[in-house]
Amino acid sequence: MNALLLSALMGVVMMFSGIVLKSKAAIRNIAIAGMLALLLVNILEMNGTVFLVIDSKGMIGFDRFALLFNSIIFFSTFLYLTLSARDMEKVGVNYAEYLALIFFILCGIALVSSFRSLIILFLGIEIISIPLYILTGSDKLNLKSNEASLKYFLLGSFSTGLMLMGIALIYGAKGTFYTSGINMVNGAISPLLIAGMLLLMFSMAFKVSVAPFHFWTPDVYDGAPTVFTSFMATIVKAGVFIAFIRLFDEGFASQQPKWKLIIAILTAATLLIGNITAVFQQSVKRMLAYSSIAQAGFMLLSVYAMSPDSKEGLILYAAAYCMATIGIFAVLIKMSDYTFDGFNGFAKQQPLLAAVTTIFLLSLAGIPLTAGFMAKFYMIKAAMYNSGLLWLPILALVMAAVSVSYYFRVIQAMYFRESSTPSTLTVTPAFRYTLVALAALVVLLGIFPNLLLAWLYF
Amino acid sequence: MNITQILVGSLSVITLFSALMVIISRNPVHSVLWLIVTFFSISGHYIVLNAQFLAIVNIIVYAGAIMVLFLFVIMLMNLNRETEPQKNKWLKLAGVLSGGSLLLVIVAALHTGDIKAMAQVKEGDIGLIGTLGKELFSTYVVPFEISSILFLSAMVGAVVIGKKE
Amino acid sequence: MPIVYYLYLSLALFCIGIVGVLTRRNAIIIFMCIEIMLNAVNLLLVAFSKMHPPKAGIDGQLFVFFIMVVAAAEVSVGLAIIVMMYRRIHSVDVNFLNRLKH
Repeated sequence: MNALLLSALMGVVMMFSGIVLKSKAAIRNIAIAGMLALLLVNILEMNGTVFLVIDSKGMIGFDRFALLFNSIIFFSTFLYLTLSARDMEKVGVNYAEYLALIFFILCGIALVSSFRSLIILFLGIEIISIPLYILTGSDKLNLKSNEASLKYFLLGSFSTGLMLMGIALIYGAKGTFYTSGINMVNGAISPLLIAGMLLLMFSMAFKVSVAPFHFWTPDVYDGAPTVFTSFMATIVKAGVFIAFIRLFDEGFASQQPKWKLIIAILTAATLLIGNITAVFQQSVKRMLAYSSIAQAGFMLLSVYAMSPDSKEGLILYAAAYCMATIGIFAVLIKMSDYTFDGFNGFAKQQPLLAAVTTIFLLSLAGIPLTAGFMAKFYMIKAAMYNSGLLWLPILALVMAAVSVSYYFRVIQAMYFRESSTPSTLTVTPAFRYTLVALAALVVLLGIFPNLLLAWLYF
Repeated sequence: MNITQILVGSLSVITLFSALMVIISRNPVHSVLWLIVTFFSISGHYIVLNAQFLAIVNIIVYAGAIMVLFLFVIMLMNLNRETEPQKNKWLKLAGVLSGGSLLLVIVAALHTGDIKAMAQVKEGDIGLIGTLGKELFSTYVVPFEISSILFLSAMVGAVVIGKKE
Repeated sequence: MPIVYYLYLSLALFCIGIVGVLTRRNAIIIFMCIEIMLNAVNLLLVAFSKMHPPKAGIDGQLFVFFIMVVAAAEVSVGLAIIVMMYRRIHSVDVNFLNRLKH
């Protein structure tokens, strides 16, 4: 509850800071300080200090899992702001407002990570979506950004319509919006419940870009300003995933035989489409968009397995994926050319940046000694132990191998190709140090994943 | 057939017909006007179900505020029958078929005959302003406050998007 | 009235909305069709809240209230985006969006 209130408050503070303060550096510093405060109060809540106790009548429940997840999200956003907040200035003139919208989105993520009632889920998803439509279209002079925003908006509100129909049908079957009430089995299963569950599943699949509902993702991620793509593809995606797993864990656990196979098929389709299409991309930004679809497939394995193991796996996966992708995007934003050729000879010009980017790419590909490897390992292990379907973990393994090919293309370009143009890249020392710290963290989590997971229990 | 059934039946016909006209009309202004008819007939349904508060809010918010905004934008852009883009007829046919089959599938899935419950019409006090208000500001006060964040972000967003650069 | 009657009515309305989204090219009309879908949901929720037996209760009508709130917010943002688009290309045709592919 601490983080929820503070993030809303910070949003308002950022709005006013745009009027009062003229210096962009001051606005940025307030945002970063606010982010740290947000992380701090959330960790305090994990230790039992709640500043304001609000009785939400059981609609919101901050449990250990949700709080740890929020901490990861806030920490990633903190890193994101330190690395990339400077680049938001180039997008448009409304600098303070962009930061305010980011804080509002974090408020939405805090809601969806801890909902106990479908009302909160709906409001949370909308609080996430509406600012995202804006951030996608924030580069107003760029036609691509406008188009991406319109496309995202139309498809997003369409899927909200489907979600609401699902919620209405579930309400008709169960007479309540509480997930605990929906999970209760009394008498025969109503067809209304099944129809509602499917509609809800499809709309959630749309929001996290699971195939075959992924078609908007590459265009929107490609069209949006790169700084905001970084935010959308990492923090927001992980945030909606936690809603997904919570919904199926708490709301539909008793219907498991009914949805398990459908989730398995969605997972397989996502893994296949995401990984195979990513191989053929020419732009690194678009490749990362498809890679985010592929990674969504791995995260969906945790919904499929649905066990304590898989929840641990999702926590680790969210952390590994967010940190690595934020790092890559932070470097990508500085580049002038987003194609693979733009990375040619990068290792000679910027040896340090090339080295950390390599670590991030290795982590995304799931090479041992990186966080990504442990995350994939937890996911596939959970799927192995908790399913009757052996082909799904095997497919995931094969697809992890396929993913190596497109991540290595970037490494190959950086180290084994010669650049034709001299580098124009300028980075501050602070940027360098943060990136190195981030890379160190990725390696550290890859060796000792329990550093993170221990928080779940103590 | 009693009077309520006739009333609900005719309201339903109006609702479906005007909704169809929204998607059939070539002229966007006509679409907006038909949509307003749809909203009024849905408000009629609410009144029959004795949900008075929602009936009024539906007219004020949807027919009043939202549709005026739509009409404003359409007038501003000077959209009319001539400027209206048309999909080719095969795409249209595909759209109608997929929508129709979705309806068929859902109705077939739900048509098991074991949903025997009745909807209470013309009676019951849960739709009255007093009852709803008490509930909204006691049990639902947290979601209510949360929706203010939503409004705030939409407001900031509309300004960010609408402002000239 | 039997609840099934309202169920079919709002499903039909919902599917009319979906057909509209699939068949029209004007972004504003598509958005209006999404509003039809939301209204179908509202009607269904109100009917369910008046269902007996079992008593579903007041929650449904309050949810409708929240849907209206969200719809209003969405309209303000959505129309702003559509107008921004119109300023650039002087059209509201969604076929323009397909250029984004490359």
